[in-house]
Amino acid sequence: MTPHEVVQEMDKTRLLHYKPLTDKQHKTPLLISYALINRFHILDIHPDKSWVRNLLQQGFDVYMLDWGTPTSMDKYLDFDDYVNGYLDSYVEYIKNESSSEKISLQGYCTGATIATAYTTLHPDSVKNYIATAPVIDGWRDTTVISNLAKHMDVDKMVEVIGNMPPEFMYYCFSVLKPFEQGIEKYVNFFKNIENKKFVDNFLRVEKWLGDTPPIPGALFRQWIKDIYQDNLLIQNKMYLEGEHIDLKKIDMPVFTQVAVGDHLVSPECSMPLHYAIDSKDKTLRMYPTGHVGMIASSLSQKKVLPELGEWLAERS
Amino acid sequence: MQSESSKDITDYYKHLSLFWTDIIHLMSSKPQALTSVGPMRAFATNSKKISMELIEINEDLMEFNKHLTEYYKQLSDAWGVAQKKVNLKAPEIPQGIEQIDALKEIWIDIFDNDFTELFDSEKFGNNYGKLVSKELELTKHWNNITNVILQSANLPSKEEIDEVYKEIHSLKKRVGKLELELKKKEMKKNSK
Repeated sequence: MTPHEVVQEMDKTRLLHYKPLTDKQHKTPLLISYALINRFHILDIHPDKSWVRNLLQQGFDVYMLDWGTPTSMDKYLDFDDYVNGYLDSYVEYIKNESSSEKISLQGYCTGATIATAYTTLHPDSVKNYIATAPVIDGWRDTTVISNLAKHMDVDKMVEVIGNMPPEFMYYCFSVLKPFEQGIEKYVNFFKNIENKKFVDNFLRVEKWLGDTPPIPGALFRQWIKDIYQDNLLIQNKMYLEGEHIDLKKIDMPVFTQVAVGDHLVSPECSMPLHYAIDSKDKTLRMYPTGHVGMIASSLSQKKVLPELGEWLAERS
Repeated sequence: MQSESSKDITDYYKHLSLFWTDIIHLMSSKPQALTSVGPMRAFATNSKKISMELIEINEDLMEFNKHLTEYYKQLSDAWGVAQKKVNLKAPEIPQGIEQIDALKEIWIDIFDNDFTELFDSEKFGNNYGKLVSKELELTKHWNNITNVILQSANLPSKEEIDEVYKEIHSLKKRVGKLELELKKKEMKKNSK
């Protein structure tokens, strides 16, 4: 992994700060809010495909939020705890450490939903916002995940088992392109078993896929209801402890990244963010890849990251 | 639908088990009963609850099985339709060394499409939702039984532990917000 240190810890969450790889750095630090599913290290899975390393090489000061592994004791952690608790505290820490009034914030997947909510509530702390495959419009989502979420008795799940168990997430993964992912992928693996680089990369990603933490019950309940079942976020009807999540309050520069072949968060689910915000300086980019391909592939290194870096450098 | 004979059998065992739990319950309330003190008495007193949970498990299990059968039926039907499509397409593949690879690709393509269509459908979502819901009902009964055993041993139940978790969460939240407010005020003061 790219050298870093854990600079802050709150409950089970951690804030990582990566060591710079360039002599000069852009002034505004960047905080990455990773998804709640699987682990943050996909953004630093391999030196040749590392999202973090690439940004460091482009001269950015990168922080990463690791949400950790919630236990039964954390079942009451809700959306508000993540947005106004953990994320807000870490942003304040970074602002203080870097002597910056504002930071750049990137959210990936479900981490982007949290980051979006944060940006609407604390626009004075965010200079630039990057939404990578954000989960925004649950009703427009065309994935299988959204169909399962819409029919889920989430109240009963949280009441009976507390947190959303990883096994349920593995089931959701298993119904996404089951034959390509369940057969073709492994046939391909055995075909390339002599190729050390291929095997190394395959095992890194497989290990990452099989390592997802539970999601705190209260957060999961609000997630499924507000995003997938009632679709409150995009309709500007979502509230966190009485605070209104109004997407119109996002008026800083925003860069939205969407993958055309994303079968976890469909482009139809992510793109509405671009049209719902009030920002005058907004960019929407679409890439011919999938959900993970957008952040950890050759394409992300050659196209996605250079474009993001160029956009962010001009504003940092 | 449940048949008449299986309903009769269920009713029979329901009454039989309730009869015996009532007897145990009555016996345990007598001073001369073996289980007059300690956790065993509490357990005997609560054993009726366990019997009730077991009866309900049985009823929920039937519902669970109904949805599980439907789940596999949907998978099996989708498999049959997809395989028919592959069979129709197979003769069109040119003969040669690459035939197997081409067939495999077509097979995966058709199966992925058909199964994604199934997983994305209302009927699948509906049945799967009910299947998980019934599974959760079964887990709930198991939790309730465990609670009876825990209470018999004078240990806190799941609900009681949850109450503590809730209280801790609420306290942590309040303290966290106060700390953050203080930090923000301090930063504002320092920046002036």
